[in-house]
Amino acid sequence: VSLRTLEEVAEGDELPERRRVVTREDVRAYAEASGDRNPLHQDDDVARAAGFDGIIAHGMFTMGHLAACVVAWAGAPEAVVRLSAQFRAPVSMGQEIVAGGTVRHVDTAAREVTLDVWVRADRDGGTEWPIKRGEALVHLD
Amino acid sequence: VNPAAEGTVYPAVRFEVGEAAVASFRTVFGQADGVPPTFATVAEFLAFPQAIGDPALDLDFTRVLHASQEYLHHRPMREGEVLSATVRIESARVRAGNGFVTLVTEITDEEGLPVCTARASLVERGTA
Repeated sequence: VSLRTLEEVAEGDELPERRRVVTREDVRAYAEASGDRNPLHQDDDVARAAGFDGIIAHGMFTMGHLAACVVAWAGAPEAVVRLSAQFRAPVSMGQEIVAGGTVRHVDTAAREVTLDVWVRADRDGGTEWPIKRGEALVHLD
Repeated sequence: VNPAAEGTVYPAVRFEVGEAAVASFRTVFGQADGVPPTFATVAEFLAFPQAIGDPALDLDFTRVLHASQEYLHHRPMREGEVLSATVRIESARVRAGNGFVTLVTEITDEEGLPVCTARASLVERGTA
């Protein structure tokens, strides 16, 4: 994998969507890797008491998936200078999440690209936005 | 949430960019190489207990939701290096019955140079 060059990028370009079905194993592995052992993501009873149907994924799991989408597009994790996200909807086990984005602005002088990024999930015939109004700043050589 | 805690800075904690920890993070997200952009969350979770457990902030973590998150990388992290993480309460407010807390974690290297700034905004639902 090589770093994308700035010359390959134009405003309005779309990032290839990155999909995954979130499983209990994923969330357990993320809790171990991150150190975030909030029971809301591990214990169904705790999650139900908080008003959910069962455990939900960490917001940071969903953001990590979004980061992977941006890294795959940019070609290297080092290229990602800034990444921000607003968490708008919980992600349940077995649910598919889809990360994507669009090139909003190309700064040729600074060699930086600003992306609008998001994570979408379809549920009960409707669309939810686990991450809305995300933004990424990517530096390309 | 007690707004009087706004501005509190907690002691720095040691944060190692451990090769095994980075590798498990990469595995979770299917990334081939390098340090994933959100790996800094590990530093936050090392530093957060000081703020979350501070009686002066009076945050009920069982009612907390993660509202938003930002990472600003001043330079890439290198596997194997030891960094330090300092968390501060950037803001603490109560509005319409909910508590809003923003925690900023500054990650710096051994020379004190900035590596990453992480900003986490939390909502405590139903603050009395």
